[in-house]
Amino acid sequence: MIRYEKIKLDFDGKVIFNDFSCEIAKGEKVVLLGRSGLGKSSLFGLVLGFVEPQSGKVLFDEALVDEHTIWHVREKVAFVDQDVSLGDYKVSDWFSFVAGIKSNHVLNFSEERIGELMDFFELSRDLLAKDISDLSGGERQRVAIIVSVLLERNVFLLDEVTSALDKNLKKKTADFFIERKDWTVVSISHDAVWLDNPNVKVFDLEKKTWKQ
Amino acid sequence: METIDISVYSLLLAFLLLAVPVILSRLYGLDLIKPLLTSAGRMTVQLVLIGVFLKYLFLWNKAYINLSWLIVMILVAVFSAIRGSSMKPGKILVPVFISFAIATFAVIFYINIFVIRLDYIFDARYLIVLGGMLLGNSLRGNIIGISAFYKNIKKDTKRFLYTLSLGATFNEAILPYLRESVQLALKPTLASMATMGIVALPGMMTGVILGGTSPEVAIKYQIMIMIGIVVSTITSVFLTIFLTLRVCFSKYGTLNQDIFI
Repeated sequence: MIRYEKIKLDFDGKVIFNDFSCEIAKGEKVVLLGRSGLGKSSLFGLVLGFVEPQSGKVLFDEALVDEHTIWHVREKVAFVDQDVSLGDYKVSDWFSFVAGIKSNHVLNFSEERIGELMDFFELSRDLLAKDISDLSGGERQRVAIIVSVLLERNVFLLDEVTSALDKNLKKKTADFFIERKDWTVVSISHDAVWLDNPNVKVFDLEKKTWKQ
Repeated sequence: METIDISVYSLLLAFLLLAVPVILSRLYGLDLIKPLLTSAGRMTVQLVLIGVFLKYLFLWNKAYINLSWLIVMILVAVFSAIRGSSMKPGKILVPVFISFAIATFAVIFYINIFVIRLDYIFDARYLIVLGGMLLGNSLRGNIIGISAFYKNIKKDTKRFLYTLSLGATFNEAILPYLRESVQLALKPTLASMATMGIVALPGMMTGVILGGTSPEVAIKYQIMIMIGIVVSTITSVFLTIFLTLRVCFSKYGTLNQDIFI
């Protein structure tokens, strides 16, 4: 589904990747592990066209990611960034903003569907009327997750989506993603709920190899 | 009605008024004496030079000279706008110049041809003076608009990229920032329009009335020029943003970081 081929990437002279290759197959559940600065988020950025490699290529669904295909790739991937926020808006505005984007017009952003997901992720429905900036870190993570699920895409790039959740919710959230056979999920996380799950492959960025 | 001339000696008396800020700066340590004197000095030298220059410009009144001078004025405005925007001049100079030139020329020729109905549309008295007013007054709005657009996208990098990741087209992603910056750019002009004549008598009117024209004519010119300023501001902000998009964004729709100083 996602293939990195001989990627060379550096920022301001600092080498992040040199001849880096890795493949994530369709339906796989993968955790990227490693301390900060090793390029975990850059691996997401490469797929989404936020960073361009100095050399090497990224393939998404067997097609080269370039300036023409990237707009299509972005319609196929659900990306949840670490503490992403829309700024000074209400939670309900967040949903309308995402639903208002033309390529998402066909999707179901009904109150009913949003409500169901809020119940599942243990968020009170009153939250919709709150300002995003008044939410706790954990509440914001869950709203972002719900948005990503509503996008009805099959590839998920999740950057620390469970870090601020309590123990039970961490498990529930990780399992929610891992149990879906048709979803390809790449998660940046240090949480045991991901790392210790037998259905999850762990890629160690320290050693640039799969963990056995 | 002739305007009373001010003798050089009298003008020196006007400079004496500067004693007020100088004394205040001394007393309260405002550190304003040097910038104040430098600015006053620059103003004096520039105005004396332009006074002499305009005298000859009006005398010759040749289309190519007048147009060239207007282009010089546009260039100066372009450089001030870029300096105020904290962006690298090399990348955006040409698009900003084209935008300012189109906005200024379009409005000024519309005014000269259809509103004032000049026989000679390159007349220095109108082309240079009105052009200068348009540029001078739309400059502030332009600086606000252009820098707000790029700074806000930079500040909101995460949100901007998130929007792209949601499947937004490039135009959809920049639209909120475009709206915000154009609104900001027009704010000062709209505010001064709304209080015009009550809070302040604008420079244009003061000049025309002192020059011996009746206030009735003066207000008509003032109304015309204010409309011109709004139109040239919004036109140049839009054009500048659209024409700089290509150099300021990558083909992947992300903001190039090397456009800022």
